[in-house]
Amino acid sequence: MSTLREAKRIEQHPLAGKKMTGADMVVQVLADEGVDTVFGYSGGAILPTYDAVFRYNEGRGSAEEIRLIVPATEQGAGFMAAGYARASGRVGVFIVTSGPGATNSVTPIRDCHADSIPVVLICGQVPRAAMGTDAFQEAPVFNIMSACAKHVFLVTDETKIEETIRTAFALARSGRPGPVVVDIPRDVQLSEGTYRGEGLLELRGYDERIGRLQQVALGEEAARSFYDLLEASERPLIYAGGGVINGDASEDLRKFAARFQIPVVTTLLGIGAMDTTDDLSLRMLGMHGTAFANYAVEDCDFLIAVGSRFDDRVAGKVKEFAPGARIAHLDVDASEIGKVKGVDWAFVCDARRGLAQLLRAGKGIQKDFSPWLQHVRELRKSHPLDYNRESPTLQSEEVLAAMNEITRGKAIVSTGVGQHQMWAAQYLDFVEPRTFLTSGSMGTMGFGLPAAVGAQLACPDKLVVDVDGDGSIRMNLGELETLTNYNIPVKVLLLNNYGDGMVRQWQDLFYANRYSGSDKTLHRKDFVKAAEADGFGFYRRVTERGELREALQEFIAYPGPSFLEVVVDQNAHVYPMIGPGMGYKDMITGQYIKPRARRDVVVDKNAGF
Amino acid sequence: MRHIISVLVENEFGVLAKVSGLFSGRGFNIESLCVAETTDPTVSRITLVTSGDDRVLAQVTKHLEKLVNVIRVGDFSSSGHVERELVLVKVRAEARSRGDVLSVINIFRGKVVDVGASSYVVEATGSQEKIQAFLRLLEPFGVLEVARTGVVALYRGEEVLRATIEEPPDLDVGGDHEGRIRREGSSADFV
Repeated sequence: MSTLREAKRIEQHPLAGKKMTGADMVVQVLADEGVDTVFGYSGGAILPTYDAVFRYNEGRGSAEEIRLIVPATEQGAGFMAAGYARASGRVGVFIVTSGPGATNSVTPIRDCHADSIPVVLICGQVPRAAMGTDAFQEAPVFNIMSACAKHVFLVTDETKIEETIRTAFALARSGRPGPVVVDIPRDVQLSEGTYRGEGLLELRGYDERIGRLQQVALGEEAARSFYDLLEASERPLIYAGGGVINGDASEDLRKFAARFQIPVVTTLLGIGAMDTTDDLSLRMLGMHGTAFANYAVEDCDFLIAVGSRFDDRVAGKVKEFAPGARIAHLDVDASEIGKVKGVDWAFVCDARRGLAQLLRAGKGIQKDFSPWLQHVRELRKSHPLDYNRESPTLQSEEVLAAMNEITRGKAIVSTGVGQHQMWAAQYLDFVEPRTFLTSGSMGTMGFGLPAAVGAQLACPDKLVVDVDGDGSIRMNLGELETLTNYNIPVKVLLLNNYGDGMVRQWQDLFYANRYSGSDKTLHRKDFVKAAEADGFGFYRRVTERGELREALQEFIAYPGPSFLEVVVDQNAHVYPMIGPGMGYKDMITGQYIKPRARRDVVVDKNAGF
Repeated sequence: MRHIISVLVENEFGVLAKVSGLFSGRGFNIESLCVAETTDPTVSRITLVTSGDDRVLAQVTKHLEKLVNVIRVGDFSSSGHVERELVLVKVRAEARSRGDVLSVINIFRGKVVDVGASSYVVEATGSQEKIQAFLRLLEPFGVLEVARTGVVALYRGEEVLRATIEEPPDLDVGGDHEGRIRREGSSADFV
């Protein structure tokens, strides 16, 4: 019996043998999977399923019902499900109608795939007989989504609906997690069948691979060769990515780092895997990583990659990335090993089991890395993050630093994409995993607000802050209303620099200050009025330094959804910066961060965005 | 380098598009593609021929193994294998040239499967090179139409690419080569 199957074995479902429609089966499987919240927007082809949700909830107390959250658009629903999944580790679910409902969901599905986030999307489809006829609200969901999702099912056989939904959950959360789409024609939702309460589709190859992955053991020889590399090194560095968080391995990572006293850098998606306030943490590496993290990458002689993938924002110039280091790579996905950079040691396993096995195998190992640790401590002390402290205009960095004094790394923070995202990654602390939610790989502007909605619903007792930019928030501004519709107490911090700051920064550096399409100085949009119009009880704009702290205090302390706009410097740049396709030795530290050694940095004007 | 890649997949709609999409997504042209059911009707075998950078192709093969509906992947290029392609050719065969056409067909062990007033339909099998040579030699007589199946291939000897992990009782399967038969619980290829 396969591993997916064993995990989902149910004794005898109380509803087994009951006649019900396909739509009722969909909702029943959701309930069986422990889904407490679904996000989505209704429409003709998915109406039977929306009706089934209504009937399921009828007469149930709020503790047992499947809460339905209706966003402004389907993209919002997708990012809410993603925020829910990222913050909780549970599978996020969204349900949309055919045609435009489905195509509006493509962006969050691709975003979830790129960041390995487990969600299930259930799409209505036109009835089977109408498929392929350009029917009203028809789109080729199977084809479109195939290229974007971990897997897509089109349910053409009504007897398979129950197993298909159940299998979608198993696929979304197993192995390297990802989004699974289930496209269900309207007549299949309406068809009657007998509920069985168990059963999965047969997926021989996948099932076998996952089974093997779950049993894989670190061989003695492999363990030995890892520790040979570690013992031979003087300057080891852990490079942790999103796989540590997705694999719930933060605790193991921290134990491993502490056991051998190895400093840790994380990717953007790995933020929170290590407590950023820990002495061993060097924060984020890469294009906008801290100078001390990037110097450590240059200096290390043994790089231990865990759940990270040498992405181009980390290793822009592959040959020059960690040039003096042997490399070990632990990842759940075999296709990531050696994809970008050759490695000296690899182990394909989920981060939690992999790290635990490594730790066990290293019982007798003793090696003193204290001179190296002292070296990175000095790097951290001598090359700290810094910004323009003289400017009369408020700086995004100081706003975030002030917020950090209040939230102290305990808040869940979501972001849009751009400068504010990088500054949030740099200036905010994160003590626990699953507290920094950001669209890393796809870089989808508009992610922050809906993701915060999902995170708050998954974690009702936590403080959730959406740190957003004016360009990003505009893309899903409709979701402001969702906060007040359901009284979801998300705090929305808008850093408004009247333009697309990161694009502007690149235009400053590579396009001779020609701000094509990125300047919004003349926009007359009043975001605070928009928040007021959407029924916010707290809405305020800050333009003066003197008001900042008190406004932030009130904003965070407000019991309901609150909105704070801070007008910030339009000309600020995010530093450090490693230009596209450049090596770490060419890192630009800007005016305010002390570089290690002055050298003339040639900026490649021809580099693409 | 030229690669012959064989993929066992669940016999379902959409699988072929996903498999071929992995190649097109990286700008690889598929030179030939052949798909048919295996002895197990729920399993299809896709055999495709492509050329490109070995390292990138190895990556594509790993990605193939990640597809949910893919059961097993084998790359024949680096190991002993036999490959065959079948071609149907309609060639002009006038009274005066028939003898010459027939002798070319015989040399290539082809078979005339249809005779028209002035043409033959000929069937021939062989490696891609042989088929190409055959067509080249028929060219002077006038090739009217060609249909080729694309390459299919099998490992030589005892090695097999199978959908199930149970070892067949009548074969001694010793190999635990990457992507081919693996004994249950084997994890050597993961480390």
